[in-house]
Amino acid sequence: MKRNLILYILIFAVCILTVGTALTSCGRRGDEVSVFYYTYSDTYISGVRSAMDAGLRRAGVGYHNYDAGSNQTTQTEQVDTAIAKGTTMLIVNIVDTGSDDAARTIVEKARAADIPLIFFNRSVSEEIVKSYDKCIFIGTDYEAAGHMQGEMIAENILANYDKYDINGDGKISYVLFKGQQGNAEAEARTKYSVEDCNALLSEAGRPELMFYDKNNKNGYIVDQDGNWSNAAANNSMKTILSGYSEAGGNMVELVIANSDEMALGAIAALAEAGYNKEGGRVIPVFGVDATEGAVAKIRDGFMTGTVKQDGVGMAEAIVKVTENILGDMEALSGIDEAMVIGGWRINIPYSLYTGDDAE
Amino acid sequence: MTGICKSFPGVKALDMAELTLMPGSVHALMGENGAGKSTLMKCLFGVYRRDDGSVLLSGREVEFKSSREALEAGVAMVHQELNQALKLSVADNIWLGRYPKISRYFPLVDEKKMQGMTRELLSGLGIRISPTAKMSTLSVSERQMVEIAKAVSYGARVIVFDEPTSSLSEGEAQKLFGIIGKLKADGCGIIYISHKMAEIMRICDTVTVMRDGRHIATAPSSELTTDKIISLMVGRELGSRFPERKNKPGEVLFEARGLSGVNPRLKDATLTLREGEILGIAGLDGSGRTELLEGIFGLTELSGGEMYLSGEKIRNRNPREAISRGFALLTEERRRTGIFGILDIRENSTVSSLGKFTSFLFLRDSKRSEATRENIHAMKIKTPSERAKISTLSGGNQQKVILGRWLLTDPKVLLLDEPTRGVDVGAKYEIYTLIGKLAEAGRGIIVVSSEMPELLGICDRIAVMSGGRIAGEVDPGRTTQEEIMTLAAKYI
Amino acid sequence: MPEINEDRERNDGFFVKLLSGARERIDGFRSLPREDKARRVREFLLNNAMYIIIITAVIIIAIIEPRFISWASIINIISLTAAKLPIALGIGGAIVLTGTDISAGRAVGLTACIGASLLQMTGYSAKMFPNLSTMPVFIVLLAVMAVGAVIGLINGFFVAKFKLHPFIVTLSTQLIIYGAILLYLQIGNNGGQTLSGLDSSYLDFVSGPLFRVAGIAVPRYVLFSVIITAIMWVIWNKTTFGKNMFAVGANEEAANVSGVNVFKTIVLVFVLAGIMYGITGFIEGARIGSIASYTGQNYESDAIAACVIGGVSFVGGTGKISGIVIGVLLLQIIFVGLNFLSVDQNMLYIIKGAIILLACAVDMRKYLVKR
Repeated sequence: MKRNLILYILIFAVCILTVGTALTSCGRRGDEVSVFYYTYSDTYISGVRSAMDAGLRRAGVGYHNYDAGSNQTTQTEQVDTAIAKGTTMLIVNIVDTGSDDAARTIVEKARAADIPLIFFNRSVSEEIVKSYDKCIFIGTDYEAAGHMQGEMIAENILANYDKYDINGDGKISYVLFKGQQGNAEAEARTKYSVEDCNALLSEAGRPELMFYDKNNKNGYIVDQDGNWSNAAANNSMKTILSGYSEAGGNMVELVIANSDEMALGAIAALAEAGYNKEGGRVIPVFGVDATEGAVAKIRDGFMTGTVKQDGVGMAEAIVKVTENILGDMEALSGIDEAMVIGGWRINIPYSLYTGDDAE
Repeated sequence: MTGICKSFPGVKALDMAELTLMPGSVHALMGENGAGKSTLMKCLFGVYRRDDGSVLLSGREVEFKSSREALEAGVAMVHQELNQALKLSVADNIWLGRYPKISRYFPLVDEKKMQGMTRELLSGLGIRISPTAKMSTLSVSERQMVEIAKAVSYGARVIVFDEPTSSLSEGEAQKLFGIIGKLKADGCGIIYISHKMAEIMRICDTVTVMRDGRHIATAPSSELTTDKIISLMVGRELGSRFPERKNKPGEVLFEARGLSGVNPRLKDATLTLREGEILGIAGLDGSGRTELLEGIFGLTELSGGEMYLSGEKIRNRNPREAISRGFALLTEERRRTGIFGILDIRENSTVSSLGKFTSFLFLRDSKRSEATRENIHAMKIKTPSERAKISTLSGGNQQKVILGRWLLTDPKVLLLDEPTRGVDVGAKYEIYTLIGKLAEAGRGIIVVSSEMPELLGICDRIAVMSGGRIAGEVDPGRTTQEEIMTLAAKYI
Repeated sequence: MPEINEDRERNDGFFVKLLSGARERIDGFRSLPREDKARRVREFLLNNAMYIIIITAVIIIAIIEPRFISWASIINIISLTAAKLPIALGIGGAIVLTGTDISAGRAVGLTACIGASLLQMTGYSAKMFPNLSTMPVFIVLLAVMAVGAVIGLINGFFVAKFKLHPFIVTLSTQLIIYGAILLYLQIGNNGGQTLSGLDSSYLDFVSGPLFRVAGIAVPRYVLFSVIITAIMWVIWNKTTFGKNMFAVGANEEAANVSGVNVFKTIVLVFVLAGIMYGITGFIEGARIGSIASYTGQNYESDAIAACVIGGVSFVGGTGKISGIVIGVLLLQIIFVGLNFLSVDQNMLYIIKGAIILLACAVDMRKYLVKR
């Protein structure tokens, strides 16, 4: 009997939960735009989401968020559901950037339902965006992040060369965390950060950077799960530090990460080994995104620099374009013209953050 | 316990049941399966809540909410199927949930103290088992002793035994009776549930008979006879406990020569079985009887020996081969290796003969239902329909369903391991009748049983096993239980 | 006397029988004492709690958001159900055996990769096998079913031969298959990228319109799912193998004594499941338009949840095909419905978990001893 009672309570609780959450979202009923995030687990994307939620609410636009959990199938199904629901607009942070087909599928769905479509953050090719007249891309010039990071690293190294060259062999050994295989941003950052840095180093008469592990011909370490995750970088860094140390004369002298999450993971591993913490030697660590955590580390001096990917700026641009489209105005009106590229995309500029300019 | 009533949906399981137990006595509680013995005990232990009536313990009204509460109040039960932590030691099992602690402020288990207390407890009862032995290494009877010791350790004044000897050999039962005698002398009241008349007459002082949830009679055992008790239980006079036999043994059907198993309990067993013959196999627990049947059936691996069916040499490598040659095995542990508790009677009946009901690759459910209904009818299985779950049937009816399963395979040799274990008196008679009819139809039947009267009552010939061998054969018409016991001890 | 009754029943039409049966039940219910009545109602409510919740939910959602029961929405739900049904039907068998299969999602991923790589259009720049002309769709379907069967064979072999728990076996194979997916994607021209540029013959074969309702296309794979469900129903209910599966699930030792080939049965259940994963993978490629290493990831969790909601119990030996279909359908209704209500995605996960937990508790209740 007691068991039944518990069951009743359980059933009741589930009902309340369902109805309750349904009712609380009732206020937003009516026309709504649908926003699809590639995953809720990404810190940077979560920042964009908060800013976008606030922006849409302020603009009085009803919206509903979807979490694809890093799975394109889930996202495509969610798009189907949203269209069936009669959404007025699709705002998509696409999961699969490895090929055009996922984006094309979504474009076709939007076209069939005649709904405007905004892709944001994760890159979609020009051909796809241009194939549908109600489609626009809002992101960053992802190649720029790599270039900027490379420049920043070179400048920083040249200013502190002897301090960074721990074993005094005249070369800086580095490790690079790529984040994900086959992702355009990851590829570009991996390539340009090292290339640009090397170019500047050579110009200054210094040898090129040297990957810490001569047997690794890739020149990067990748998160096997493709999640750009803190944990994966942390694990890899710990493994590295177990084999490479100051005592062994082969300590890793520079850490380049394609995202701040991974940079923080690496710093945590370094801190465990006695570096990058109060009273310890600081190994230069560079990231991308300028997340809250990374900014704090930079301010404390345990991380060296990051490229600020302006999440709030991106969210504001998306909200502005959304308002324009819903208000039957020119989609790009009110957007800084310098940011508009070829009429099909808006690039949110990057900026550097090294703590020097911190207020 | 007086005026106990308990209703289940649609059934009144107990109707003014009562039982009075005096300290220092052994009180038998008897009745057919379904008579309400177990329900009455479950009401006592708080497994069920009684609808009406009262339970007085030493004059005080009690109502236990769980068997744990009952145990703490000195009312214990030794179950038919022991519920113990097999991976733990004897001492652990006895003190589980109330381990002696080193001190109040250092609440770690005091192993040494626990071992000592256990040793004291066991020797007090005359039980020779090491406190550190793992439960799983003990025999059923030893595990039962541990359970009794546990009850005593709680200072139990009332101990209920539910069919304690059903899986014990004769010798082990003797030991158990010794302990029961000791408990009785110490002033414990004992409720003894069993189907075995002989032991009831031997160890019980008082007998209470129940039928259909009602109290029928209570009398000192000295005033009762076996037949009197049976007629009280059944509610009618039973002409005989065993049906008349009409089968005529014919040609030699099956022969086993020098069978020995990978399991060392079976070594060098030789026997022959004729068409239409009922061959009994007697022997102590562990004498290799079950292993012999399992070896013949291909369920366990044989390491040596030869088998002949109708003169042809055969080898059963697995049960499927055995079945295809016309063997059938009714296993000893019905719940574990016999029934599919969650499935219905039809599935349980036809599982071994599905090929028979297949046409064009597909099963014909109507034919399966028909065959099952025929079985239900022929064996008088009490069930509302062939689609009822087998677990809702009583033990005897379940046994009949499994027998029916084998009949659908049209077997030549039936191997029956304890066919009437956990079966009530009425159903036993029906199973004996069935066995007789099968033999009449020319099938060879081997019956393994621990109940001597049963073997003497239904078999044409009894082979006695001892230490994995056939120690000798006796004619049930002329032998005595003493002769069989002597043979059974031959190779020990 | 009973014979006469039977005759009459046979002569009566099905409908009349249904009616009289209902009347009998109602009369039977009326004649019960009041307490029993209340108890019956309670039992009924508890045993059908899932259905009651869902029906109520559908009504509430439809009132708040009428578009939920528009054709577009209904066809969306049916399509989603059809896509997820084969994998659930496969896992159902493993659960009937008291096991599970957590390699299912990865198996879908691998078969999807293989299927997609063989069906890229000729001339596509990043084609994995540039020299391979597009293969006939049907041959590829058979090929991926065979790959699925091999995965199932490995799973089943280890479970049956070494008596390992399926959880452990499939936990291991799941990793191995994932590694195989990553390696496979590195082959040829592909270099670890997403597989796309799928041939139109493939896309049409799987997700082309079957027919249109109110102008909205019903994809072909809905038909596939219907056919597969019918085949699985026959296998489960009308074949010796199906009955043996239930026997092994209900009591493996008794099944062995009864002459069931336990080893063969277990292996076949997993092989059949593997074939289902192959079919799911095949549908997946055309449905999504591109296949990557994450395809299929965690599919097994929804499939297992659907089976449990549909009454395929981990106790073993029980389960119905219809239950699985309903389970998958209910799960999709919940997901889509909650999205229609614009329920916060964070809450969605919580509600999903709560519903699965509840379904298991209600299910388990049926097997616990009644007091």
